[in-house]
Amino acid sequence: MGNLPLSGRVAMSVSVSDQLIAVLPRMRRFARGLTGSAVEADDLVQAACERALTRAHQFQEGTRFDSWMFRIVQTIWIDQLRARDTRREEAEEEGVHLGTDEPGRRVEARLALEEVRNALQDLPPEQRAALMLVTVDGLSYKEAAEIAEVPVGTIMSRLARARVALQARLDAGGGLRRSTENVKADG
Amino acid sequence: MSKPTDERLIAYLDGELDDGERAQIAHWLEQDGDLRQRAAELSESAAQLRAAFDEVLREPVPERLMAAAHGSAAASATVVDLSAAREQRAKPRTRERRWWVAPAAAAAIAGVIVGIGISRSVLPEPTPVASVTPPPTFVENLGGYYRYATAATNEATSFDKLPQNFRLPDLKPWGLEFRGSRFIMIEGHEAQWLVYSTDNKALGSVMVFVGNSPDRADTGVTFGTSGNVNVLSWRSHGHTYAVTGTVDTHYLWNIHNDLAYQFDGI
Repeated sequence: MGNLPLSGRVAMSVSVSDQLIAVLPRMRRFARGLTGSAVEADDLVQAACERALTRAHQFQEGTRFDSWMFRIVQTIWIDQLRARDTRREEAEEEGVHLGTDEPGRRVEARLALEEVRNALQDLPPEQRAALMLVTVDGLSYKEAAEIAEVPVGTIMSRLARARVALQARLDAGGGLRRSTENVKADG
Repeated sequence: MSKPTDERLIAYLDGELDDGERAQIAHWLEQDGDLRQRAAELSESAAQLRAAFDEVLREPVPERLMAAAHGSAAASATVVDLSAAREQRAKPRTRERRWWVAPAAAAAIAGVIVGIGISRSVLPEPTPVASVTPPPTFVENLGGYYRYATAATNEATSFDKLPQNFRLPDLKPWGLEFRGSRFIMIEGHEAQWLVYSTDNKALGSVMVFVGNSPDRADTGVTFGTSGNVNVLSWRSHGHTYAVTGTVDTHYLWNIHNDLAYQFDGI
């Protein structure tokens, strides 16, 4: 992002738009993990795009654009959680296609992955965000800490609690074992 | 060094430890089978978590997000020319549609005073919708726009200036005040998103979408839902129209008739 032209509003807007489009799939994945719903996630990403474009001047040259966007997504999401008093609508049942022509093993694997996504939604919001940033998106602890605006140590402990809790939930449901076996079997 | 905690073990697996601590944990792993098992389980669950969300990256990005990413740059770069097509198809108002006006006005009065329920008894029943069903993404996009604009936490929505020749539908008889419009993209074509609101909380906001769709055939009215948002849409004379709201479909149906009447007359 260091070469982002910042001299003119129009030029900057175009550049930010290009950057936004490039990072949209990862923003959607992050938002999907946070919200547990495809529709809510896309609403969240849309709001984040709007905010990014109206606040493009706040983007600091030399910093990572994707981190900035993740921070915006997370900030809006937290605002929404607070406003809704953490009420969460039922997650959609999309992604699970029963009664299709999929081989049985693949259907089971999909169900197992759904179980993983559901287990994620059982975690506290801040742990969910840490998992999505580090474990799913592969950011470093330092980058995740900057996005969450907390110390690195906090991210480390959130991650540990999240990973342990996720592990326990998957062990209890048997999803991990089932999905692992089936994914391996499917090659 | 004492046996690594889960936190240190996870940091080790994530490659977040310095060389010294990494070597110590590696040494522990060589000697402790339980710790190796624990590390394997944690690695596996992390892999599963990644797999659970990988498919999102392979999904096509909805066009409403592409439009949002383009934001005002796209809006300012394109002028929506809905007027030309309207002039082409401008016809005298047909008598057969006038009959909607009186019920519309009646429903407006009734709706404001006693709410939506009474409008069902005043207004004609909707005719069956056409069999053509809009694509799910189309309905989801419109539902998304609705939720976005009505989200409690959403900052004051900024509106674009309406194109100069755009004739704004008047929904005041329904108690709906025009709040503003935005330029958006629907199905790859320019569209105007018109936001109407009312003080009557039983009705909520209503949004109207008017877009160009030169390559699409005319359709009757189709009905869809996105979450709690009802979506009525139709295509006519190279345009796509839609009206959305959380209010029931009878109400939207009658607004649709009013809109169709107004758009045909414009």
